[in-house]
Amino acid sequence: MSTAMQFYVSNLLVYLGVDVMACLGLNLQFGVAGIVNFAFIIFQAAGAYTAAVLTLGSSSAGGGFQSYIGGARLPFPVPFLAAAVVGGLLSLLVGLVALRKLRTDYQAMVMLVISLIATTVATNATGLVNGSNGLATIPKPLQSVLGLSLVGYQWVYVAITFAFCALVWVGVHRITSSPLGRTLRAVRDNEAAAGALGKNVTVLRLVAFVTGGAIAGLSGAILVQFISAWSPGSWLFPESFVYFAALIVGGSGNNVGAAVGALLVPVAFLESTRYIPQFGYPGLVDALQWVVVGLLTLTVMWFRPKGVFPERPGRFARRAQVP
Amino acid sequence: MSLFVLSIGFGLITASILAIASVGFTLQFGVTNILNLAYGDVMTGAAFIAYLVTRAGGSLWAALLAGAITGSLASYVLNRFLYTPFVRHGTRLFGMIIVTISVSLVLQNGLQAIFGASFFSLVLPRTASYGFAGMIFTGQQLLIMGIAVVAMAVVHSLLSYTRLGRAMRATAADPELARGCGVATDRVVGVAWLMSGALCGIAGVTLVMNVTSFSSTTGGSFLIPVVAAAVLGGVGHPYGAMIGALVIGLASEVSAAFVNPAYKEVVAFGVLVVVLLVRPQGIFAEIATQKEVVA
Amino acid sequence: MSSPLEGARAAILEVEGLRRSFGGVQAVRGVSFAVAEGTITGLIGPNGAGKSTVLAMIAGSTSPSAGSITFRGQDISGKPPHRIARLGVIRTFQSSSEFERLTVLENMLVAAGSQRGERMGNALLGRWRWRSEEEEMVERARVLLERFEIPAKEDELAGNLSGGQKRLLELARSLMSEPQLLLLDEPMAGVNPSLVRRLEEHLLGLRAEGLTMLMVEHELGVVERLCDPVVVMAQGQVLSTGTMSELRSDQQVLDAYLVG
Repeated sequence: MSTAMQFYVSNLLVYLGVDVMACLGLNLQFGVAGIVNFAFIIFQAAGAYTAAVLTLGSSSAGGGFQSYIGGARLPFPVPFLAAAVVGGLLSLLVGLVALRKLRTDYQAMVMLVISLIATTVATNATGLVNGSNGLATIPKPLQSVLGLSLVGYQWVYVAITFAFCALVWVGVHRITSSPLGRTLRAVRDNEAAAGALGKNVTVLRLVAFVTGGAIAGLSGAILVQFISAWSPGSWLFPESFVYFAALIVGGSGNNVGAAVGALLVPVAFLESTRYIPQFGYPGLVDALQWVVVGLLTLTVMWFRPKGVFPERPGRFARRAQVP
Repeated sequence: MSLFVLSIGFGLITASILAIASVGFTLQFGVTNILNLAYGDVMTGAAFIAYLVTRAGGSLWAALLAGAITGSLASYVLNRFLYTPFVRHGTRLFGMIIVTISVSLVLQNGLQAIFGASFFSLVLPRTASYGFAGMIFTGQQLLIMGIAVVAMAVVHSLLSYTRLGRAMRATAADPELARGCGVATDRVVGVAWLMSGALCGIAGVTLVMNVTSFSSTTGGSFLIPVVAAAVLGGVGHPYGAMIGALVIGLASEVSAAFVNPAYKEVVAFGVLVVVLLVRPQGIFAEIATQKEVVA
Repeated sequence: MSSPLEGARAAILEVEGLRRSFGGVQAVRGVSFAVAEGTITGLIGPNGAGKSTVLAMIAGSTSPSAGSITFRGQDISGKPPHRIARLGVIRTFQSSSEFERLTVLENMLVAAGSQRGERMGNALLGRWRWRSEEEEMVERARVLLERFEIPAKEDELAGNLSGGQKRLLELARSLMSEPQLLLLDEPMAGVNPSLVRRLEEHLLGLRAEGLTMLMVEHELGVVERLCDPVVVMAQGQVLSTGTMSELRSDQQVLDAYLVG
């Protein structure tokens, strides 16, 4: 493989790992627990800002060209873990306010607006995370320690991403295939009936919401330490929609579906084309990509509303007959 | 004090545009129960057509008419050939949100692909400014308020005094019952989308009359205040939407003058979130319901 | 609170001066009655009498404006539904309430009380933390499905069942929670006559095993065959209490309900 090709493939693999993680987190919230979290991207963003601020060092150290709060220079993997914690805490905060019993389209509206509020605040409160310019020159973990070539380091980062992705996969799979996952799906299907059987609906939904938010935060940290820059433009509302589109295409409620959706929508349709030759005026390719994502979602909604890999209910083996 | 009065003036203009838009939005929601998140992008589409008309030398009136027709037809087609089939196909509340957002993406980015990612302005004659009790309006802004007043009056008389209006209210209240009573609900729904689409188109044109430049995202970013006004008034209630528009329009412009202009949309955001979480039927729902019973 | 009807049996549930108003309308105005252990107590009355509201208040999905609800000597009024359910008061719903994208067997398993595998820590640690408990629950669920004659359907999605099968599943599912008091909200609504008979037999069988039930039902034939005693409500108040045959000769009840 040529060096350029290696960069291209390794970039795509990192994006794939990040998007699979995010889709698994959203699947836990939406596919399993039925929470229409249209603000999903802000939890990824919170994780990204956390990791950035915790690796950039203090605000004045970098020449003071960007201002932010709580700068520190912590070693790998502390910023990643902190990002997951922040994603979870922010979810707890939002969840306590916004997880009410609401029509699902109203719930979607509430979350969408929360996402817009977060964007407005991050853009205008410049002292928080450097406003609309965002943060740049975010260090990559272990880069100075390893002393590898640029392309060699790319592959190390792919490995780091995949390791975290595998960890998330195992965790989410264990949750969804456990009695907890089953009870969450019951809450999704009929909240009142689950409550009447002794399930604490509020706590259960919060558990799914916070776990998904922590995963979102982790994915944001991995993404930001790879691309080294992060600003409000990186996490506008349509990015949440992309993850929803991925779940709908892949199959919500099914972890394999979530992963395949991540491969098909954000990676195949949005990221891979980042490197094809541009034509027309700047921005035309971007616009056309979004048109395609919209049309793809509509097509799948019509022809295969349960996605490519529909949710699989649990099966239980008959006990072997005891003699 | 003068700043306050001045901002009230701005608030009235914003409220006028909001009122046209949110009454249209609430009519769609009322008869079909679909939260159409592509509404803002249809507004943008109408604005682009109006732009083409003015650039070709057409008058402002021609532009408004073209915008109204565009909005009307686009909304009708969307509902008839996309939303209704999806609902009949079994798509429900959450699914319809995904459908309307997909449409919004396709429209917004389709417009950007066609017109380019730059900024546009209507080609309009310069008009004088007029002062009223400390408020200053341009001729066009006075026109916007006039259009809003006329539009509200037309909607009011249509709903109150015509058979069509009664059929629309009946369909909104209970489609099954209306059908049982011999109302051709399909036709009523079609007319409702044509009408609300016309309002949507007019709102799109007036929106870009009031700004120096617009782009393919202008209507989309105006959507949240529109929804906020409609929800505040109780979705499906046109009179509630008018009051909601007045409240949101005034509150956001006054706060823009006294706090930070960057946060002026946060007023609408906050109102929407709080109303949805605490009182999803809207603040004015009861007033509006009573009005309908009396009418 | 001892009425001659209850005989020597102790009251498992006591409702005292229960009130509830919705936006100025008094749906329930001062309702008092008791449910004796081991009975199927009927709760009847014309539409709008407030029966379902009373049931909802006992189950915790609506909180009373005033009054008290005592279950086994403990005040449960105003507690959230899941707390009341955990005490052993399990309700069924008027409309079908299956978890439609879960299988029949999964529906049953959800209903089992506090499970090890429902805790996040155990779920993350893996199957070994909860496998044995799960196997026991599966066995228990299968016995119940057998009893309610829906065993062949255990892998079917509950949403695909017929209306009658959904009723049977809901009853079986509520038993999975090991209730001490079952609140049945029109269990026969929309069920065909042959299945009504089967459901009646199941309910009588449960009573014979000592389960207490409080049942809201419109079909007076069903009430007559199953319920003793019967509480009659009208316009938010208790009109009369007695056996069905006593009530049939009660002029007040006839005026309010049986004739109209």
